[in-house]
Amino acid sequence: MSKPIRIALTKGRLEKDTVGLLEKLGFDCTAVREKGRKLILPVPDANLEVVLAKANDVITYVEHGVCDMGVVGKDTIMEMDGKFYELVDLGFGRCKFALATKKGYDFYGGYGIKTIATKYPNVSRHFFEKKGMDTEIIKIEGSVELAPLLELADGIVDIVETGTTLKENGLEVIEDVAPISARLIANTVSLKMRHAEIEHLIKLIEENL
Amino acid sequence: MRNYDLITPEGTKDLLFGECILRRDIENKLLGLFKSRGYCEMITPGLEFFDVFNLNSQYFPQENLYKLTDAKGRLLVMRPDSTMPIARVVATRLKDATLPLKLCYDQTVYRTEPALKGRSDEIVQTGIELIGSQLKMADLEVISTAVDSLRAMGMEFSLEIGNIGIFKELVGKLDVSDHVKEKIRRRIETKNFPALNDLLDSLGASPVTAALKKLPALFGGEEVFEKAAELMPDENITRLLEELRDIYRDAAEICGSDGTITVDLGLVNKTDYYTGLIIKGYLQGHGEEVLSGGRYDKLISEFGYDIPAVGFAVNVNGIAKVMEKNSELPRIPGADVIVYAEEGCEVEAFKAARKLREQGLIVENALFDDLESVREYAMEHKIAKVVVIDGESKEVQI
Repeated sequence: MSKPIRIALTKGRLEKDTVGLLEKLGFDCTAVREKGRKLILPVPDANLEVVLAKANDVITYVEHGVCDMGVVGKDTIMEMDGKFYELVDLGFGRCKFALATKKGYDFYGGYGIKTIATKYPNVSRHFFEKKGMDTEIIKIEGSVELAPLLELADGIVDIVETGTTLKENGLEVIEDVAPISARLIANTVSLKMRHAEIEHLIKLIEENL
Repeated sequence: MRNYDLITPEGTKDLLFGECILRRDIENKLLGLFKSRGYCEMITPGLEFFDVFNLNSQYFPQENLYKLTDAKGRLLVMRPDSTMPIARVVATRLKDATLPLKLCYDQTVYRTEPALKGRSDEIVQTGIELIGSQLKMADLEVISTAVDSLRAMGMEFSLEIGNIGIFKELVGKLDVSDHVKEKIRRRIETKNFPALNDLLDSLGASPVTAALKKLPALFGGEEVFEKAAELMPDENITRLLEELRDIYRDAAEICGSDGTITVDLGLVNKTDYYTGLIIKGYLQGHGEEVLSGGRYDKLISEFGYDIPAVGFAVNVNGIAKVMEKNSELPRIPGADVIVYAEEGCEVEAFKAARKLREQGLIVENALFDDLESVREYAMEHKIAKVVVIDGESKEVQI
């Protein structure tokens, strides 16, 4: 058998959903389910090797070709960018990027420059650049919702799933920025050098989404 | 203030010993190969005026250029590419030269890459430019040189061809802004099927959008041409596909069983001044292409001389990286002999050393004032022979 295809999965929910998908395709993922602290795990009957990594690292490993494929959220792809093929929208991990402010705040009113707090500075910058709007962007690492409450920022750009956290903190979505879901990505050379195997796998996945 | 006097800037590195041998070996192999096919070497300046890269069509985004100013305040860039400076030379000093011109180069290019991504801002590119021929034979000549270059690296390789003309024909039939065309291009380039389909659906269903949707999936072996035949009933596209198929078949024969030739109709790179044939070369075990090029029939006309051209560049850093991963670095050939001079015999010693070198040996002159230190040095550096010059020269075996 040829060298296994390495696929990097974003740890956490996307990992679980992907493993679910692989099992639906009939592959035995016992090793991944009972992984303990191991980070590289075989799925022998699919000739796959699963690598567990943080979202940003999935992209880095795939870009460098040390992993042939990866599963990562569109949010990370939008923030990181990079050179790889984005092949399939896997449909799970759905949520959205949205612009939110304190309830009732007139974000687009006045001529003052608005301050945006976010974990995703590139996504925010592109969004406002497209509007031709100068903004001041401040990167926050933890709960971004705090920034408008503490009056550090006029608004936030963040991932919104149910909107519960926003509501409980007196914030509301005023505009959607972009929809998000999990994507199957591939290294540009791997897709060419191992075309048949990867194409076969993609076909199986697409039939079972 | 912090000092940076002990480190090199991000994206650059020092190469030592074995690493240099490996690099030079790759460069010499490629240059030798190009010269054996009649290509003449050119060296262009490392610094160019910004204007050379800021033509009507902007091939290099300004944020990726290293910029500085000259003594008169004019904007300069560190050359990000060799093809454009060569186009400049062709359109000026070589304007009256007999065509076709066969040029080659081996020089460093500089581009700013995102920080902390393990990328290099300084890349050695060794390549060819074949200028003034639009013949199929010129395309094949370049493909055959590319195959020989990859084969010379002694690893499993694959050469991929495409024709950007097919994409340009298709997108030209759409009544949309350049901005939207660029979005379509980007989505085809990244084989982003979901986003490409959404975008094209929003433009309404038509044979053109249906064909564009299929483009990124059309890659692989010769079967691609069967699938592409139903792409669109259009005279130009059919002609381009037939030409490419012709080239594909010839290329497969040229390549023989050493490597693989594949085709990808979704090769639509951006920084490309390319107008027709596109080629890319891959080595097993490296995540990016190590060779890239194509036909650029309009570029030189931007410098005022309207002639066609085709060429490619090999990324020497990329190849060195694969080789370093696959095998040990080459050993540095040590000296064969070390010559030690007793006091007063220094000039004699240099003469003796020169004589030995003329026999083809690697000879060091010892820089110690006692024989015992010379012996120790020779042991450590695995130098087999010490020659002592003390009026009557004698050899000491280690």
